[in-house]
Amino acid sequence: MTPFPFELLMNYLLVGAALMALGMLGFLSRRNLIVMFLSAEMMLQGTALTLVGFGRYHGNWTGQIFTIVILTVAACEASVALALILILFKRRSSLDVTLWNELRESTQAPFEEPTVEEEAESVAPALGPESYPHLTRAGLEPAHPTSPWIERRK
Amino acid sequence: MLEKRDLILAIAVIVLGATGTYLMLPHRHGSAKPRRVHLIGAVLAGLALLLFATFWRAPASAISSLFFYAFSLAAVAGGLLTITSRNPIHSALWFASVVLSTSGLFLLAGAQFLAAGTVIVYAGAIIVTFLFVIMLAQMEGRAPYDRAARAPGRATFSCFLLFWALFYALLIVRVAPHPKGVAIDTDNERLVRSGEIASSYGLKADHPARLISELARRDTLRMDDISKRPKPHVAGLGEALYTEHLISVELAGTLLFVALIGALAIATPKLPIRPGDPRPQPLTKL
Repeated sequence: MTPFPFELLMNYLLVGAALMALGMLGFLSRRNLIVMFLSAEMMLQGTALTLVGFGRYHGNWTGQIFTIVILTVAACEASVALALILILFKRRSSLDVTLWNELRESTQAPFEEPTVEEEAESVAPALGPESYPHLTRAGLEPAHPTSPWIERRK
Repeated sequence: MLEKRDLILAIAVIVLGATGTYLMLPHRHGSAKPRRVHLIGAVLAGLALLLFATFWRAPASAISSLFFYAFSLAAVAGGLLTITSRNPIHSALWFASVVLSTSGLFLLAGAQFLAAGTVIVYAGAIIVTFLFVIMLAQMEGRAPYDRAARAPGRATFSCFLLFWALFYALLIVRVAPHPKGVAIDTDNERLVRSGEIASSYGLKADHPARLISELARRDTLRMDDISKRPKPHVAGLGEALYTEHLISVELAGTLLFVALIGALAIATPKLPIRPGDPRPQPLTKL
């Protein structure tokens, strides 16, 4: 078995710590539910790196077995989280998590924060002229059918 | 203790990383142009990442150190870009790079089964996430909630405080001297050193900590057999999984089943109940 000295273990712990902190940052600061879900998975990846490094350093399988359990929990979390995202999107037609702040405790005061529109950065305009097809001017407007199209599908 | 040079480098990593990440997070920074702010943030964060890489020690062989540096840099940079991308599709793609690099690191640590398992499980998860993004999110990251991070200053501060705590705690760790007063000469001796924890601390035979550390030294849990030869990978892992951790396997299976039922119960479309509708009959004759 190739040696796995302490310095290599340290590498794994440092990378794992960085992934954990970045995932936490994404989970706390992003508003999009899907990006929050990805950040939570990234925290799990950082932990898994740490566990595998420790298991290899001590020469036993427990770290890898813990990681398999983490993988299982991540799969369960993904299924439930994506089902929740689907339902929440159906209710509000938006993935913004701050729309759901009435799920807090009833005694808790609402978290005062500026609205999304005040904080959102401006969108850079698309480069170049927008190209829409040029249509020649039509003559008379055609007669519209009076019944909506859904009723005509028979 | 920590050398002065290392301490300054570590503080530089934290400060540059926090500033760069704060600038890269989607948010309105006064009247500055978003593209320019993003570029400055990316330069600062890249610098922090390069400084962070100086704390890693290269493995012995050139090939494995090449792969180690490539995978680690890709993992951390991919993580940074996952949380700062405006477009959720880009976030999902960068997360895929994080997963692939992590499984590469698993491979370098001798966990082949986990590397394959991670790729398989997360490939499915990422494809499903992709479908969700395409179904639900607004394209091009034009949605206002994709361009406005939530309290980015406070979040960056607290998360980099956590990172600093972990980083500092790892940097001041030194390998404990050999219990018998002998310098550790070979790497292989270091590897088996953890088995001596119980005896080195002079624990009595009925001390609970000794019982626990004896438990961690069982033959089924060790990566090498009695004659110090490595066990075959999947066979050894399976042996450990199905002898020492059998209940965990059963619990994991139960958890998957419960999550399946939960996801179905949450996501199944239900008819709305309006006032005036007949009351739904309770399902008594099942």
